[in-house]
Amino acid sequence: MTGADTLLVERLPRPRRSLWRPKVPIAVVISLVFLAVAVLCVCAPFIAPHDPSFINPAESFRGPSAEHLLGTDQLGRDIVSRIIAGARTAVLAPLLLAAGTVLISTALAVLAGYAGGRVDGVIGRVNDVLYSIPSLTVAIVVVGVTGGGFALSICVLMIFALPANIRLLRAAVLERVHLPYIEAARTLGVSTPRILVTQLVPAISPLIVTSFFLQVTFAIVELSSLSFLGLGVPPGSPDWGRMLAENRSALSSNVWATAGPGLCLVALAVSANLIGDWLYTKYEQAGRSR
Amino acid sequence: MTVQLVEPDTPARPKLPPLVRMIVRRLLSASVVLLIVTVVVFAFIHAAPGGPEQAIAGREATPEQLEAIREANHLNDPLWQQYARYAVSLAHLDLGTSYTRNEPVATSIATAAGVTLPLLLATWVLSTILGAMLGLFTARRQGSRADRAVVGFTVVGASSPVFATGILVSYIFGVRLGWLPTLGVGDGGLDTVRHLALPVLTTTVVLLASTTRFARVRFGQVLDEDQVTFARARGLSSQYIVRTIVLKNSAVQMITLAGAVLVAMTGGLVVVEQVYGLPGIGTLLITGITMRDIPIVQGVTLVVAVLVVLINLVVDVLCFVVDPRLRKGLETEA
Repeated sequence: MTGADTLLVERLPRPRRSLWRPKVPIAVVISLVFLAVAVLCVCAPFIAPHDPSFINPAESFRGPSAEHLLGTDQLGRDIVSRIIAGARTAVLAPLLLAAGTVLISTALAVLAGYAGGRVDGVIGRVNDVLYSIPSLTVAIVVVGVTGGGFALSICVLMIFALPANIRLLRAAVLERVHLPYIEAARTLGVSTPRILVTQLVPAISPLIVTSFFLQVTFAIVELSSLSFLGLGVPPGSPDWGRMLAENRSALSSNVWATAGPGLCLVALAVSANLIGDWLYTKYEQAGRSR
Repeated sequence: MTVQLVEPDTPARPKLPPLVRMIVRRLLSASVVLLIVTVVVFAFIHAAPGGPEQAIAGREATPEQLEAIREANHLNDPLWQQYARYAVSLAHLDLGTSYTRNEPVATSIATAAGVTLPLLLATWVLSTILGAMLGLFTARRQGSRADRAVVGFTVVGASSPVFATGILVSYIFGVRLGWLPTLGVGDGGLDTVRHLALPVLTTTVVLLASTTRFARVRFGQVLDEDQVTFARARGLSSQYIVRTIVLKNSAVQMITLAGAVLVAMTGGLVVVEQVYGLPGIGTLLITGITMRDIPIVQGVTLVVAVLVVLINLVVDVLCFVVDPRLRKGLETEA
């Protein structure tokens, strides 16, 4: 019996690459580095070489030079400095949005999954309704007619991001609600809030972290879409999406005025996505081996 | 610990067929969705500072003129009366008349849909079918070089904002290579096809990333199932495996995906139309917002919401028809 098994195993093709594989994929390392740089820009806007809103019409749409590494925009403002200044809205807002979304959806998902019954039903129904609203269209209208407001766009997008996250997390909660250790805690007389916070939330925390990063990606894409349309951030502010809209007319004189913020946006979103994906795969594999 | 036996509930009245019951339930929730969308849009548009009278009368208007316009359009009535009037006209299938375009909202939307619908349909078909094909291709050779290249593309594609992709595409094919026009919609016929090529390409690239990723995961799951291993052991051809096992088992997910792609496009095309200067539904909405053209904004959001609700309904019905397990599930659930 065992002999036959080993024979079979030996006949299986060996894995092609036996080279050393790093524990953390290189792409994820690069992503982490980029995120760190972006956060650095948020914390230290003074590393910018110029004043991001200093207007110099004489230097309109100059190409890259030693003075202006990525050239200037129409009003002669330094692109590098504007990218660094724009990191504030580009990084902080998605982080805030994702944190809020994940926090609220965790609370609701744990509540729905643990309480079950009517609570679950109500949350589920509301979820279904929210889910079938064309979110970006409504967000554009709401943010557009009220004359923008960055906080408002974050709130609106957050509400529409809730259903998908609640569904995901609730499913994870349901898998665990009936596990013996939860029942044991209940039998011991541990209060419900305590069970939720100390037992259930830690159990699904890998998934929470994962959906946080994936949410950051969505937030970057959607928030920048709003600012590309001229909604959300006030005019003149150094926002990456807005810079793309403002500078694309001058692609022939200074490509970098558009390419710079565009590449930063994509790199930021890809970084968050890669980290989220990587965490998710790790989480899934851990679940499978258990 | 007690074993609880739940008595099967005896139906008091003859039950409708499950499909009909599902559709009725869906239509009920759809009406709630439409109510919420109209109320939210209505509330925000009326609570927002700056009414439409300025846009109608122009800058030089006197306060008396502005007041007359507000009065003529019933903008001074209590909000609930305005909403009631709006709801009554909707019940007559009347979307109202645009403030700034001097034509019925329905006409404006129909004209704009002439631009948006071809774009929508072409992108939808391309991104769904190509996504399924690429997904199948990669799911069958997971870990290979081709697979990793495609996965890399999907990560970058899915996390790039559509306007960034659009600017890149229009720069490469429109400006650098000069193959295709990058602005406007052309003058009909072949010219319009040429004008729509780049917007379709842009949206397809962005959506293809998501569809490929989704299809690859689902096909991969099915290929991992025991039935596939068993079919292989029986010596069935891979063609048979793909056609009868993989496609059938992922039909529900693929239909859901096709619906989700359409829904995502209702928002995404607004941005794409701005990038390529297309006079479609999205542009209509954006100009409506800047001009404070209340009927236009309300009309467009309502049409989009109805579209989304219909898509979701069709998706549900199709899944139900395709998958007998779902039908069974509904029968036992009710």
